[in-house]
Amino acid sequence: MGTDAIETASATADAGDQHSGGSFAGSARRAVPIVGQYVVSIAVALGLCAILVSATGGSASRVFAALLDGSLRSPGAWGLTITTATPLLVVAVGTIVGAKAGMSNIGQEGQLLLGAAAMAFIATRLDLPGPLLLTVSFIGACAVGGLWAGLAALMKFTRKVPEVISTLLLIFVASQITTFGLTRKWLLLAKENTSRTNNGEPLPDAAKMPSLNIFGNQVSWGAVIALVLTAVVGVVLARTTIGFRLRMLGLNPRTARRFGVSAVGVGGGALMFSGAAAGLGGGLWLSGGAAGDRFTGAISSSIGWQGLLVALLAREKAALAIPMAFVFAGLRTGSGFLAATGVDRRIADVVQAMLVLALLIPPAIEALQRRRSGSGAAA
Amino acid sequence: MTDAGFDTPEGARADGAANVGDSSSTPTVRLSRITKRYGAVVACHDVDIDLTAGRIHGVLGENGAGKSTLMKILIGLIQPDEGLIILNGRTVTVADPLAAADLGIAMVHQHYSLVEPLTVWENVLLGERVRLDRRAACERVATISDRYGLGVDPLARVSGLTAGQRQRVEIIKCLRREPRIIIFDEPTSMLTPAESEQLFSVLRTAVVSEDRTVALVSHKLDEILHATDEVTIMRGGRVVDRVRTSRATASSLAQAMVGRPVSLRSEAAALGLIDAAAAMAIGDVDGDGDVDGDGHTGNAAPIVLEMRGATIVGPDGHKLLDDLSITVRAGEIVGLAGVEGNGQRPLADALSGLLDLDGGSILVHGIAIDPTRPGALSRAGVGVIPEDRHDSGCVLDLSVAENLTLGNLGAISKRGVLDRNAMEARAIELMKAFDIQARSPHASMGSLSGGNQQRVVLARELSARPIVLIAAQPTRGLDVGAIEYMSERLRAAAASGVGVLLISTELEEILTLAHRICVIHEGRIIGEMGHHEADLERLGLMLGGVAA
Repeated sequence: MGTDAIETASATADAGDQHSGGSFAGSARRAVPIVGQYVVSIAVALGLCAILVSATGGSASRVFAALLDGSLRSPGAWGLTITTATPLLVVAVGTIVGAKAGMSNIGQEGQLLLGAAAMAFIATRLDLPGPLLLTVSFIGACAVGGLWAGLAALMKFTRKVPEVISTLLLIFVASQITTFGLTRKWLLLAKENTSRTNNGEPLPDAAKMPSLNIFGNQVSWGAVIALVLTAVVGVVLARTTIGFRLRMLGLNPRTARRFGVSAVGVGGGALMFSGAAAGLGGGLWLSGGAAGDRFTGAISSSIGWQGLLVALLAREKAALAIPMAFVFAGLRTGSGFLAATGVDRRIADVVQAMLVLALLIPPAIEALQRRRSGSGAAA
Repeated sequence: MTDAGFDTPEGARADGAANVGDSSSTPTVRLSRITKRYGAVVACHDVDIDLTAGRIHGVLGENGAGKSTLMKILIGLIQPDEGLIILNGRTVTVADPLAAADLGIAMVHQHYSLVEPLTVWENVLLGERVRLDRRAACERVATISDRYGLGVDPLARVSGLTAGQRQRVEIIKCLRREPRIIIFDEPTSMLTPAESEQLFSVLRTAVVSEDRTVALVSHKLDEILHATDEVTIMRGGRVVDRVRTSRATASSLAQAMVGRPVSLRSEAAALGLIDAAAAMAIGDVDGDGDVDGDGHTGNAAPIVLEMRGATIVGPDGHKLLDDLSITVRAGEIVGLAGVEGNGQRPLADALSGLLDLDGGSILVHGIAIDPTRPGALSRAGVGVIPEDRHDSGCVLDLSVAENLTLGNLGAISKRGVLDRNAMEARAIELMKAFDIQARSPHASMGSLSGGNQQRVVLARELSARPIVLIAAQPTRGLDVGAIEYMSERLRAAAASGVGVLLISTELEEILTLAHRICVIHEGRIIGEMGHHEADLERLGLMLGGVAA
């Protein structure tokens, strides 16, 4: 009785509320310290960045002003930030689905690259009206990204290759494939390549994502697709039987197997979904216009990696991925303005990395607390 | 008059048990006013306990009574919030188990910490910062082994030893440092009755002829009565009684431990009273008249579960299950007795669809089930209360309501969309029916106590209306009240026509509940008997692997 009571008491005090998610009072009570943690850790990161910038001869205030100008304040800036956030959000949402099912896909960069390649291949070959061409191209991008992740699923379930390793290594294969594709006109290379590097054919206008004009900001319609996808994924995970079975598989695969959840079907499906989302992210990134008007070998430019980070920082919550994707996109667009301040590009990268670390600290603290309360209950 | 201390190892011990609490006797160890809190819960409250050299001191209590916490304080694993540890009249601080070892305090844990691929002498030397000298080490092990009649071969590989032999290796590891105070934590949980008997005679030697102090922590009345000189009884973190064992009876101890009068007959299993359990006929249980006759009609009832020649080969080529066949009829409780680690776990895993058979088949109601298809056995009506509920019985990060559902999604969803209200209503209903204590149906499973988690598993499995119920060590770690509740539910399930396969290492539990007893040894069934022909001696032999 005593031990039981101890378990109950310590779990109630420390961990119980974090799991339940049931009562509003509980979620409000724990939201306050978490917001506080974010504020403190970001403030500390900014302070350290200021010291670093000053020490290397720059002006900290100008650096932060440039970051804000680039991401939000200058004309049209936040529209560009939202357009950049779109593929990050789509990649992150797919990653969350995989993670919920216990699948650690970390090969989004490659899946996204191949998705963009598929989009470019289809869009430059089919002569279809705008919406139809986009739809077909996006389906192609999803299919290629999904099948690429499917290779990892195949290796996992037939040869027990951990998907963390296979998805990661498949990035390099994907990169080689697109590089080869850019050397052949029948694949990806432009008919008349004028650049010194091998680039793809410019997309036809029909394959460019239309934009919404909001207060002088061009916001890609892709953002709407990303938000709808996020909402659908959030609802499916929380409110449907397939979402329930997927979460069960991720939290306790043995219990899930006993109750008929197939690791191959549901787990493999979730892994392929995350690949398909990354592929779609590639399609949206290419058609959104922020990365130029044609496919290049460097087009993914870490969007896949950053989407993975967004999912990590959102702590597997689809809704939280929206602000996180925006913050990351802001850092990307904002750092474009840093060059004008005369600060070394590498210092700018350090600033960006420090802010990412700062965003990682509150979830890390939460995980530590949960583990500590867990071991306390065991004793 | 006892004058125990390191200096006088040959102190007179003629009377065997001096008055407990006699101010003239000097205890070797005195734990004084120990208090340990975990948040709002007090695990030990103002506990005083004296251990005297030359005696075996029993610490009796239910799970969670605070006895393990107290012993962990003595060995330095936990620091007390208040109170003193007084060793030979000197107040000491025990910062960690290494400090305890320096003070001459050692503990033989319930779960062994041996490295299986290594030999006995290598295991004994582990953690020592000395030059490896195989011959000297072997001699040392052999000497200790001979002195206590342990019969341990220093060159044997641990992986090939039985649980009882492994425990003896642990005892050698402990005795090698010549400790003055030895704590045994639930030492018989993995042993056969014969091995337990042997252990107690070793303890007697160590205590009487060498004047050591032994604390024996247990929740089993039988072994406290049998092996100790004096006993401290704990309940709810407090010491409720101290008695000389020779003056105690099973019922006085049981009452002190549980805090209310108990029936030794109906609760024999919960109290660890093997003789009472064996003497009890199934039909005699008060208020469970429905069980009457099942033992006789069993043969006519249809076979609901049959395992034919089940064979599972482990990763190392060792057979976990070896051509095992067993049947369970409707309305029957079949008890599968056996010493821990003889294939019970692979058997339960196979019946949960978690481990594929390398040979043989599983039939439910005469229909062969393909266990490799996820959920096939569950759909066929095989309910399971797993040995480790955290492993395959529940999902700690989901809510109680969700855990009460898991496989039964059809009842609380429409066209693939979950009906949260229906799920909640069903959860409230089951929580009431099975008396599950939780703040709300939305509380996380991880926030529940072990006993309540077990009730959630039981509620879910029974509410799915199973044809067969596999109960693997269903009462492990539960307190007396919870054990009784589980036993009643299993009896009731059988009475309603469910075939129950009870897998347990607690012979008492098997003897009180089962209509038919099978004994598993090294992955095969080596004997079977009806409850009425149950014979402790024969059972004991079979548990040790002798087909009798």
